[in-house]
Amino acid sequence: MQFKVSKAWLAIVAAVVLLPVFVRHAIATEIWIFAIFGLGLNLLMGYAGLLSFGQATFFGSAAYVAGYLLKYFGVNVFLALGVGIVVGAVSAAAVGYLCVQRSGLYFIMLTFALNQMFYFTAYQWTTVTGGEDGMPGIPRPSLLGFDIHRPLAYYSAVAVLFLLSLWVMKRIVESPLGKILQAIRENELRAEALGYNVPRMKLAAFVVGGAFSGLAGVLYAMLFGIVPLESIGFVFSGNVVFATLIGGSGSLYGPVIGSFVFIWLSESVSSMWARWPLLLGVAFVIVVLFFRGGVVEAWARFWVWRAVRRAPDGVQADASR
Amino acid sequence: MPLVRTERLTKSFGALTAVNEVSIEIEEGSLHSVIGPNGAGKTTFFNLLTGQHTPTSGRIIFDGRDIAGTPPHRVAHLGIGRSFQRTSIFPTLSILDNVWLAAFARQESWRGLAWRRADRYPELTRRALVVLGEVGLSEKAGQPAREISHGEQRQLELAIALAAAPRLLLLDEPAAGLSPDETQKMVALVRKFKGRYTIILIEHKIDVVMTMSDRISVMHFGSVIAEGTPREIQQNPEVRRAYLGGVPA
Repeated sequence: MQFKVSKAWLAIVAAVVLLPVFVRHAIATEIWIFAIFGLGLNLLMGYAGLLSFGQATFFGSAAYVAGYLLKYFGVNVFLALGVGIVVGAVSAAAVGYLCVQRSGLYFIMLTFALNQMFYFTAYQWTTVTGGEDGMPGIPRPSLLGFDIHRPLAYYSAVAVLFLLSLWVMKRIVESPLGKILQAIRENELRAEALGYNVPRMKLAAFVVGGAFSGLAGVLYAMLFGIVPLESIGFVFSGNVVFATLIGGSGSLYGPVIGSFVFIWLSESVSSMWARWPLLLGVAFVIVVLFFRGGVVEAWARFWVWRAVRRAPDGVQADASR
Repeated sequence: MPLVRTERLTKSFGALTAVNEVSIEIEEGSLHSVIGPNGAGKTTFFNLLTGQHTPTSGRIIFDGRDIAGTPPHRVAHLGIGRSFQRTSIFPTLSILDNVWLAAFARQESWRGLAWRRADRYPELTRRALVVLGEVGLSEKAGQPAREISHGEQRQLELAIALAAAPRLLLLDEPAAGLSPDETQKMVALVRKFKGRYTIILIEHKIDVVMTMSDRISVMHFGSVIAEGTPREIQQNPEVRRAYLGGVPA
């Protein structure tokens, strides 16, 4: 069997291996968890053109349900992860079913409003969710006999799941479904005239995105040993949109880079400077004004710019096109 | 037996009756043109056939069954393909992908929908390339669709409709906005496909319509005021009064 490894994959595997050397393990782990969360959103936002402002609905729901099972029933890790993926997908199917009936601004507001409904349910239902205090005491059971309490051990487990998620998402965006979703983003009317059931395809994107969010939610709960109320709140939904935009929405690796930038900035700079969100704001403005494709586009443009500068005069005109 | 037949097909938008009791029969394999001044209801008529609009009343019999009110994505699966008056493509996708998506939609089964790589459907890719070859775009297959000229985009528009392997092809002003040169190219293309597909053509360029069509229906204020062969239409006094005006018979 032929096995080709692209440069992007080499870079990501290198990053996975090297990150815990330079960054605190908990932060390194959070980066890859958040990246899984971003991969799910990117399928909706970047590929299908559906700006969902309610991804925390699926992330939080999965974290609460799986957290509850881990805490009170001591289920094993695989069951917890499986339940999280299913809860993420099912909640996304329910929310998505309602949202895909509308488009544009109304769609965005629906994802947001439904997110708020889930948030206030979690806020009020204190006997189960712990309300404002969150749901503490989430255990981290051993994985196939390995103790994953040590930060590096848990990091490794998360990193493997992240690489697996990235591979699965790569398959999905390169499949016919990935193309169909892009076609819907580009021209819904034409996609429909070709014979694609547009609402159903959008719903499929929701379900897949929800499954990724669910997986991320459970990993997050096990990382910190708690399901905080914020994990189902709209700020969290906004953060993943933010991170994905900075990295580059619509390209497979965009949310991965975005997650790295976002989590790393928020965790390391925040300890030095309390007004760190200002930096994020500036980054966001720059992205929106100049690099709509985020870091990924900025990177690509940098290489084109360099090639043009280095090229002899004759080639210059050609390369700048 | 006609491939498609409408019976007193009507569409009203409030007080406006855009299509008024239109009854047309289209013979299998023929090229049937629909002409008429702007606002005569030609495009609305197309939108009724493809399911974009639900008729207010009347029937559309396609291949023996009534399809009035069927949603567009199902109509496409019955084998009705269309091109749009205003170019309707997927601008950032490659030209090949534009056509490939049309071919994939008509697959009997969507196996591997979310898992198999899209470039691992050799039969579909081959078919898409054949269609691109027929409209003369195969050399640009890898380019994003937004980068080609308007004339080429009109050819792509046609290719997308063809790749869906339609039994009935609806062409809504394929030569809209084209230069004389490009128009000639487009006319040659449509002529090439005549006979291979059953075609309903909306076109403003009367000389094109007169030389290519088997039959012509003339619409005016939502109604069909005349139908016949090009010769009959040219000699019809009512048509000349309502529409042809300055064109010599």
